[in-house]
Amino acid sequence: MNAPAIIAAVDLKKKYDDLEVVKGINFSVEPAQCFGLLGPNGAGKSTTMRMIMGLSDVTEGSLEVFGVPVQKMTRNIKAKIGLVPQETNLDPDISVVENLETFGRYFALPSALISERVPKLLEFMQLTEKARAPVMALSGGMQRRLVIARALIGEPELVVLDEPTTGLDPQARVLIWKQLLALKKQGRTLLLTTHYMDEAQRLCDQIIVIDEGKILDQGTPQQLIDRHVKGHVFEVQKPDLAKSTDGKWDQEDIGDSVLYFVRSTQEFIADLPENAVYLHRPANLEDVFLRLTGRTLREN
Amino acid sequence: MQMPGTKYVLAVSGRQYSVWKKFIGSSMASNVANPILFLFAFGFGLGQFIDAMDGMSYLTFVVAGMIAYSAAFSASFETTIGSFTRYFTMGNWDAILSTPVTLTELLMGEVLWAAAKALISSVTVLVVGWVWGGVPSLSGALLALPIVFLASICFACVGLAATAYAKGYEFFSYFFTFWVTPMFVFCGVFFEISRFPEVIQYIAWAFPMTHLVAAIRPMSAGLPIDLTMLALHSAYILIISVIAFVAANRKMRQRLYD
Ligand SMILES: Nc1ncnc2c1ncn2[C@@H]1O[C@H](COP(=O)(O)OP(=O)(O)OP(=O)(O)O)[C@@H](O)[C@H]1O
Ligand SMILES: [Mg+2]
Repeated sequence: MNAPAIIAAVDLKKKYDDLEVVKGINFSVEPAQCFGLLGPNGAGKSTTMRMIMGLSDVTEGSLEVFGVPVQKMTRNIKAKIGLVPQETNLDPDISVVENLETFGRYFALPSALISERVPKLLEFMQLTEKARAPVMALSGGMQRRLVIARALIGEPELVVLDEPTTGLDPQARVLIWKQLLALKKQGRTLLLTTHYMDEAQRLCDQIIVIDEGKILDQGTPQQLIDRHVKGHVFEVQKPDLAKSTDGKWDQEDIGDSVLYFVRSTQEFIADLPENAVYLHRPANLEDVFLRLTGRTLREN
Repeated sequence: MQMPGTKYVLAVSGRQYSVWKKFIGSSMASNVANPILFLFAFGFGLGQFIDAMDGMSYLTFVVAGMIAYSAAFSASFETTIGSFTRYFTMGNWDAILSTPVTLTELLMGEVLWAAAKALISSVTVLVVGWVWGGVPSLSGALLALPIVFLASICFACVGLAATAYAKGYEFFSYFFTFWVTPMFVFCGVFFEISRFPEVIQYIAWAFPMTHLVAAIRPMSAGLPIDLTMLALHSAYILIISVIAFVAANRKMRQRLYD
């Protein structure tokens, strides 16, 4: 943790005209870690990522990437970052390989290097068989994999992934998880947003949960689980709830049943009535997320 | 502020070129067919009633005008409908701007390709017009091509400025009605602008197109060339290019990054 941070945000704010969507956030991303940015729709995740990429001006506060303020981002720094945007924006007029080659040229890579990297990237994302296919002929999942491959053409030290697995089938997600972990092993830093909490729990070393432009909490997945949902969740159906009612248990009413977040399972079970109907499972990041950000729909 | 790098500008133009290459057949076919149709109408049709204009045969007069207009149309189309589609509909610009390519380089790449494409289409008109017998001085016409290229850059920059302000495709109907069509009508493509009332003439000279036509027509006609006028025409075209490019760049930056 002594190495300088790859990304450092201090009191970072973003306003679109008068609408403030990032309201002063602080975080720092250490090298070679996978850093997760979680939050409901409209929380400001993509906006934050775009500021990091230098694609959106910072309204207030400071944001440094590779130790340099984003306002002064040089070409060399830009070349060290690869972006997987939330919206797939492949070039539909050219083929799969041409998409990668063209991107290589935007990075001003020599042709020889491009021809060396392209087949490896296709292999990495299991697209080799589709190399000559037009982008339009790819399924959504394949297009997503191509966007990831494209982001890696410059062998970036920092890979910014805005919902890389949204809309993918389980097989494709597993492949992407495996390859993202491989990238991390190579020492690359990953900044990830996702709405899949299992994905975040599996991949991320550090997580911040943001909502409405503010950070709600930050930590490792395990720290967040310990802090907010203890370790075990009991979903107990009404009306036979736990006998102690004096705030002994950390609980949340979700309608037909009540969720209890507990550390000691034996003690809790002993506190349940004989005929209680309940479901017991280990607490996970999804519980944390819902506890922190609430259960109401966003952007209504 | 990063100095624009040639490699990056060419990477952007190169992408356009590689797409164009795929459709080269249809694009060249229309490049050739268009001027033939026009020359047919104006050379045969109108030409029968007009013996000479501005001291040359009407065919010669019209071919020079068509060389200029094809460049104007092609460059304008490319950086409006073409660029707007890449920017707004395809997300192509967003993708490019996430790489080391800067916005200025991206815009330069768009302009460079539009101008190259415009030059290709005016060269086709030149060839067709020459075969038709409407280019008395082929060498003069070839010497005019750099000016055609410069003007194409200008048309491309103006188109790009329109794109920077465009909210949707409807916007371009204004652009074509109030900018491109007047170039066809008021700038001396089919008749001398000296026939217009004086006020209209002043307006006509505000269009870079008028300067382009005036600059290249004596060259392809093989008439004596006034170098001072040539320099003045070119300078005017250059100034408009710079103003339009700066405006496009500024507005686009605001639109993308604010
Ligand atoms: N260009 C823009 N102009 C105005 N408002 C914007 C713009 N982009 C985003 N917003 C607003 O900023 C807020 C945050 O958007 P952002 O895309 O960062 O959310 P997000 O966390 O990525 O959400 P999601 O999970 O849905 O992708 C939203 O309320 C959105 O409407
Ligand atoms: Mg988003």
